[in-house]
Amino acid sequence: MATKDELFEVLKGVIDPEVGINIVDLGLVYEAYLDEATDKNKIIMTLTTPGCPMHNNITLWVENIVKQFEPEKEVAVSLVWEPKWNPSMMSAEARRELNG
Amino acid sequence: MNSNGVIGAYSPPFRIVNKYFISATISFVLLTLAMVVSYQYFVGHHFQPRILAITHIATLGWITMILIGALFQLVPVVLEVSLWSEDLAEIQFWIYLIGTIGLIYGFWVYQIDEFFILSAALLNLAMLIFIINISVTLFSVKQWNLTGFHIVSALYHLSVTAVAGILMAINLWKPYIKIDHLQYLNLHAHVAFVGWVTMIIMGVSYKLIPMFTLAHGFSLALGKWSFWLINIGLQGIMVVMHFEDVTFLFYIFSLMIAIGLMLYVYQIGVIFDKRLRTKNDVGITFSIIAFGSLSLTVVIGIIMTFIDPSSVKNLSLVYGFMIIFPFLSLLIMGQMYKIVPFLVWFHKYSDLVGLQPVPKLKDLFDEKYAKISLVFGVTGMTGSILSLFSNMQSPLLFFFILLFISSLLFSYSMIQIYKR
Repeated sequence: MATKDELFEVLKGVIDPEVGINIVDLGLVYEAYLDEATDKNKIIMTLTTPGCPMHNNITLWVENIVKQFEPEKEVAVSLVWEPKWNPSMMSAEARRELNG
Repeated sequence: MNSNGVIGAYSPPFRIVNKYFISATISFVLLTLAMVVSYQYFVGHHFQPRILAITHIATLGWITMILIGALFQLVPVVLEVSLWSEDLAEIQFWIYLIGTIGLIYGFWVYQIDEFFILSAALLNLAMLIFIINISVTLFSVKQWNLTGFHIVSALYHLSVTAVAGILMAINLWKPYIKIDHLQYLNLHAHVAFVGWVTMIIMGVSYKLIPMFTLAHGFSLALGKWSFWLINIGLQGIMVVMHFEDVTFLFYIFSLMIAIGLMLYVYQIGVIFDKRLRTKNDVGITFSIIAFGSLSLTVVIGIIMTFIDPSSVKNLSLVYGFMIIFPFLSLLIMGQMYKIVPFLVWFHKYSDLVGLQPVPKLKDLFDEKYAKISLVFGVTGMTGSILSLFSNMQSPLLFFFILLFISSLLFSYSMIQIYKR
């Protein structure tokens, strides 16, 4: 069973291609845990802006990477818009990368 | 190809967009090469065969080619609809290409015959197919936005440009249509550059610039004002130019367009102000210089409205040059450095994300060459403008060669990206 920390670490493999920063450092991943009710790895995340054209692609990438890490479990990704993403959710590294 | 995302679901096949982008890049190199071999023609009035040929390599071969390709890619993604007909997009390309080559050849050797008219007619046919294809596509749009309005307006102005174009072509061949040729030329050019090209650029930039710079929480109020001012101004000019003694109205409508364009530049500034990504990559640097050039070009446009352009040596040539190079070419090059890597990356690597390491967008090409291209481009453009104003031929040749090198470096980067 994957822990929250492990899932977050795995999700760092998904990089926003345009910005070049992974989704964890961008602050897009809100929660990652094994949902015992459904026995699925559940990822709760957002995107920097609703209507982002990469929308479904990014959730698909998240599914792929988590599934590859723990193939025996299904993955459920929910995109949420509350709380709304804001720049303060980025890690210090991400900010340095954007403004360096 | 991934069919699950908005991009995967709605985009036309990679090959259609590529055809337009690759042809446009080749045209850009041919454009600057044509200028190098024709530098001695860049003097005096703009209505002369070589200048007309070169202008159409720029407008049809380079600029409109890019815009059509970009719209095939972006309309579906931005407005979440599928392109109505991929077959028409494919057929249109060949008709458009043949028409463009024919028309440019006709201007170059100044052979205004049935062949020339046929080329203009083919271009009109290609535009018609394009307008129908995109219009039918737009019928299924559920959520309209400011970008969508710009696209509709641009399609309308493209049809006006094409019709005015073929009227002039026929008039050059057999002058039986009673139109004032130079006045129609003025209309054709301004409707083309403002109503079609700039309208598309404006609409698309409201989506692309925030995406590329990570801008959030800005208002598009100025963009709406700019849209209406420019559109009302253009319709006004199209109507009043058919009447006599309308100088005052002409000034009013011209000023509306100029203010609209300035508000657009200001709106872009507002978006930039809200950007999270303050580090400007090479694509954005190209774009920033282009927006600055647009403001300068508008100022020259205003001056030309109120004075007799022939009173300043080569003023109308400089004006046209500024629209095509420092504004449009720099902007298109800048955006291509952003869009093409993304399309190639998406096509080749999107399905592999999460499964194996994939390159980042900026790894797809060497920024160094893009930066050198920028330096050559900007130096070449600035030098060309100064040489045109001072009417110095040898420096003009030198600066045109710099532009040619800049276009070669640009196409080298594009080849690098496509070969990934």
